[in-house]
Amino acid sequence: MIRKELVAASAEPLILSLLAKGESYGYAIIQEVKARSGGKLQWTDGMLYPVLHRMEARALIKSRWGESETGRKRKYYSLKKDGKLAMSKHHEQWSVVQSVLAGLQKEQYV
Amino acid sequence: MFDLEQAILDWRRQMLAAGIQAPVPLEELENHLREEIERRAKSGLNEQDAYKMAARQIGRAPELEKEFKKINAPMEIQKVIKLAGFICAATALGGQLFICAPVVFAIAFTPGGSLGLIARVFTVAGWAIAVAITMFSWKYNHQLLPAIRNPRPRRAIGFACYAGCLLWIRFVLFHLPGSVIENISLFFLAQFLFESEWVVIAVLGGIGHGLEKAACRQKAMVNS
Repeated sequence: MIRKELVAASAEPLILSLLAKGESYGYAIIQEVKARSGGKLQWTDGMLYPVLHRMEARALIKSRWGESETGRKRKYYSLKKDGKLAMSKHHEQWSVVQSVLAGLQKEQYV
Repeated sequence: MFDLEQAILDWRRQMLAAGIQAPVPLEELENHLREEIERRAKSGLNEQDAYKMAARQIGRAPELEKEFKKINAPMEIQKVIKLAGFICAATALGGQLFICAPVVFAIAFTPGGSLGLIARVFTVAGWAIAVAITMFSWKYNHQLLPAIRNPRPRRAIGFACYAGCLLWIRFVLFHLPGSVIENISLFFLAQFLFESEWVVIAVLGGIGHGLEKAACRQKAMVNS
């Protein structure tokens, strides 16, 4: 299981990257993150919504109410222009962290 | 006998009691809860266990409320500032379209009169530029404004601009009546004063709105 702090730090880049593929809603976002991480990235489901609302307040994403296949009301989120910019920044920064870590890890086996 | 709808109703009451607001985000959370119950029920769990696990997975009401509260507090002030900016821009645009435009077009398109063709073209062009400044200053001025991260001075400047708008409207209404403008011998200076009334409102109003937007953008970049 991935540590709580890392889960929290990765929430925004993951949400932005998922929404870059197209609009989605809270439950689907959580399910996709779980599936892609093989269940290792576990969020407390409800905590996703304050994150989504905060990102919406910062104009990174926007939302609209729609309907599910069963007719239930559903809030869909999609990426805004500033969200795309923020996503590329995240990717850049996570790549730096990842490459530093990979480099250090490599040195340990030399 | 377990009643799922009653259990969800009780869960809603707990959320409302903790301060989670309806319809948003409570509806969103309830939809999530129902989808999770359905998924767990499909995988073979009975309704009661599916509900218990889904409710636990969604989190405790006080903790969720604590997180939502962090967003709502600054949002209220931000909404007021944005609304004030919008009202300024709408007032300014209304002034340009419903007060300036009839005068400008009457001058430009009345046959005869003392104005030549070039002066008439300049009259319309001046009005069009004023309308463009009115519209774009509200929408895009945040790109030119500094990002003030401390909310107190930022909002103080914003509110000072809105107060400036009100003072300016008062000045225009009581101290710069149409007769003063008409008596100015230089035609283009008179037109400039006539149209700049509304441009000033749009620019001042746009600053409060723009400063918030610039700060939001900066915050988004820093947090990214």
